[in-house]
This record gives sequence, C-alpha cells and structure tokens, in this order.
Amino acid sequence: MASAGSEDGVPIDDYESLIGTTDVELLKKAWRHEKVAPEILRFETSLVQRSREQIQLMEETVEEFAQSGVDPLTVSLYQMDLDRTQFLLRSYLRVRLQKIEKYMFYILKTDLWNRLSEQEQKFAKRCTDDMGKHLDQSVLSKLPEGYKSILKQSTASENDDMIPEPKLGTFVICRSNGDIGTFELDDSDGVPLELLVGDLNILRYKSIKPLVESGQVDLV
Amino acid sequence: MYGRKACQLVKELASCESEQLSAYNADLFDQVTRECSTHHVELQTLIRKIQDEGLDTQATKNPDHFGALIHHLALVRNKRCLMAYMYNRADIVRSLRWKVGPVLPQEILGKLNFSETEYFKNHSAALDSYMSEMELDLTVDFVPPKDPYIQVRVLDDIGDVLLSDKSANLAPHSIHFLKRTDAEPFIAQGLMEELAN
Repeated sequence: MASAGSEDGVPIDDYESLIGTTDVELLKKAWRHEKVAPEILRFETSLVQRSREQIQLMEETVEEFAQSGVDPLTVSLYQMDLDRTQFLLRSYLRVRLQKIEKYMFYILKTDLWNRLSEQEQKFAKRCTDDMGKHLDQSVLSKLPEGYKSILKQSTASENDDMIPEPKLGTFVICRSNGDIGTFELDDSDGVPLELLVGDLNILRYKSIKPLVESGQVDLV
Repeated sequence: MYGRKACQLVKELASCESEQLSAYNADLFDQVTRECSTHHVELQTLIRKIQDEGLDTQATKNPDHFGALIHHLALVRNKRCLMAYMYNRADIVRSLRWKVGPVLPQEILGKLNFSETEYFKNHSAALDSYMSEMELDLTVDFVPPKDPYIQVRVLDDIGDVLLSDKSANLAPHSIHFLKRTDAEPFIAQGLMEELAN
C-alpha cells in the first residue's frame, strides 16, 4: 500500500528502514513466515486490524478519485496497490486456516492453541468436532472395544500416538537480521554456526525456531 | 495373510494422483473392519485361555501370549490403515471446498460415502461462519494480482451489463478487456474465462 505522504523530508538512508516498517511490509513478512514455517505462528492481531483499516481507507480513496475524475492512470495504480494488499491479507488468513485444518488435533492439545485468533479458535473447535464425528461414524464405531479412540491406537498406548504433528525438522531458508554470533544447532554435533548480518542459510526449522520467534532471523 | 487387505486400501489411496479422489471402496473397507473383529475375537479367546490356565497375563511368555500379541498388532495396524484411508480422503474433501465451492457436482458426490458428504457440509459451514465473522471472503484472490485489468472471453450470453467504469455488451465468444474485480464474479460462475497473455 502507498506509504506516500510520510517520507517527505526524510533522508535517503532512513528511507529503506522506513519502507521496511510499513504495515504492508510487515504483512508481507508475516505472510512469508507463515507460508514457510511448518507450524502455525502467532496471529498478528494488531497488524491485521491495522491492515484492514487501511484497506478500507484505500477503498474509499479510490472511489472518491474515480468519482471526482482524477486521472484514470492514478486511480488504476491505487487500485492495483489495493488489490495486492487484499491478496496478501487473504492469503495470510488462508494459509493459517489450512494449517489449522491439517494439524487441528495437535493444535488443540498443545499451547499452539494460544497462537490462534479468537475466530480461528472457534473454527478449530468446529473443525475437530466435525472431523471427530466423521471418523467416529465411518471408522471408529466399527472397531472392537478398546480400539475406538481417535487419539490412541489402542488402550495399550500410553501416549496419544495417532495425532498428525507438524514436521519441525523441515529445512527452511533464512536470512539473519543482525550479527547473531555463534549459534549452536542441535544437530551439528557441537559445531557452532556463525550467523552474520544478511547471511542466507538453509537450516532445520526447529533449530532456529527461537531466533524466528525473537525476530533475529527472517524466513524467506 | 493378516493386514494385506488394509494395505491394499492404503495403496489405492496412494496410487491416485495427488488431490484426486477415487470412489469410496466400501467393500474393501468393510472387509478390513470384519478382519478387525475376527482379530479381536481370537485375541479375547487367547487371553481367556491364559487366564483359565491360572497364569498372569502380563508376565506369561508362552505361545498363547505371542499369538495374542500378533492379533493385537494386526488389529492396530489395520486401524492405522483404515484411519489413514479416511483421514487422507477427508483432506481432499476439505480441499474441494477451496477449489470447487460450497456445492459439489454429482460426479464428485458419487465418490463420497454418506459420512464424507456430511463432513463436507459441516466443514463448509464452519469455514463460512469464520469468513462471515471476519467479514472477508477468502475464496477469491487465489493468485497474486498482476494487473487490475484482464482479458476475458465470454462463454455464455450475459448481455448488456453495467460495469464499474463502463457498460458493455457481453455477447458469447466476444473478447473484452475488463477490470479484474468486475470479471471475477463472472469467471467464478463459469460465464467467462480469462485469457492467458
């Protein structure tokens, strides 16, 4: 979305950092992270809220421009900007819903639950209910006593061993935001990795998970 | 051999092209559930036999114990196969909501069993209520927009329509250059197609 109007009089050096912190850039980053990370990330409540307000504002502006006979090219540029932002927002929410659909039982029983928005929690609840009902009537009700659980293979299992979990060991491509220094990976046999600013690495998601959460590395 | 039928069921799933649904194999599915019941009966008989002989069911390691174990493991494996079959089909059923829409054509419905049809409806409703709470339709805008205008070919006789920036006569087979937002509803209804550049 247009960041116009706010960068007047700002030196060129600050321009990039300013652009990097506009809501559109933040939304793009949130969307990229959500697409790449194997597990569901924290819902960006205020960012989504702000983006929606800006989208509405843009819609009004475009309409106003169209009515007051502003140059069609300008209007179409604004419209394009608006369309792209809306795509980002929709896609972001969509990717999250698809993760909820995929790992609903896992999310429901772990603290990932707290990462969902209120509406997503309702959706996840209904998802698990519907799925539970479906599996119950099509499979589990036909199995003998002691083997009817949806979470366990049989009553002999001590843990819930039938829950699909996100594969945290998948490799992701990440870029360091600053000099993080040496960082111990949990599968590198004690050989630490040095992460410098701008470095691109392909690593297992689970080993850099804390760095992603603290914003020290970006997923690309 | 134990577990062979369940394996066939999963193979059927795997041999399908990804995201394609094959017809629900009720016959084979029921055969596997019957096999499960047989295993359970055998398992119970063996356990009762061990108990009747006055032996501890946990500590005894005689042939009956291992026989019971085999039946238990075969049962658990069958369960996993049945669940995998149903669960992965449910994945595809859900993806149909995104790709096809809230109403499925008859040729797809024919491949689902009763419970799956119901599941599709329920899940569809869950998604709809999420979207209405968010006041945002998530089933549009699947590809990143490149241009606010696209070229479309009209497939059906739509007639004279007032669009947001002009009025147009959308006669069948005519080609137009329209605003993407104007054209999308027509494309979704199958009245137009987008022409690739």
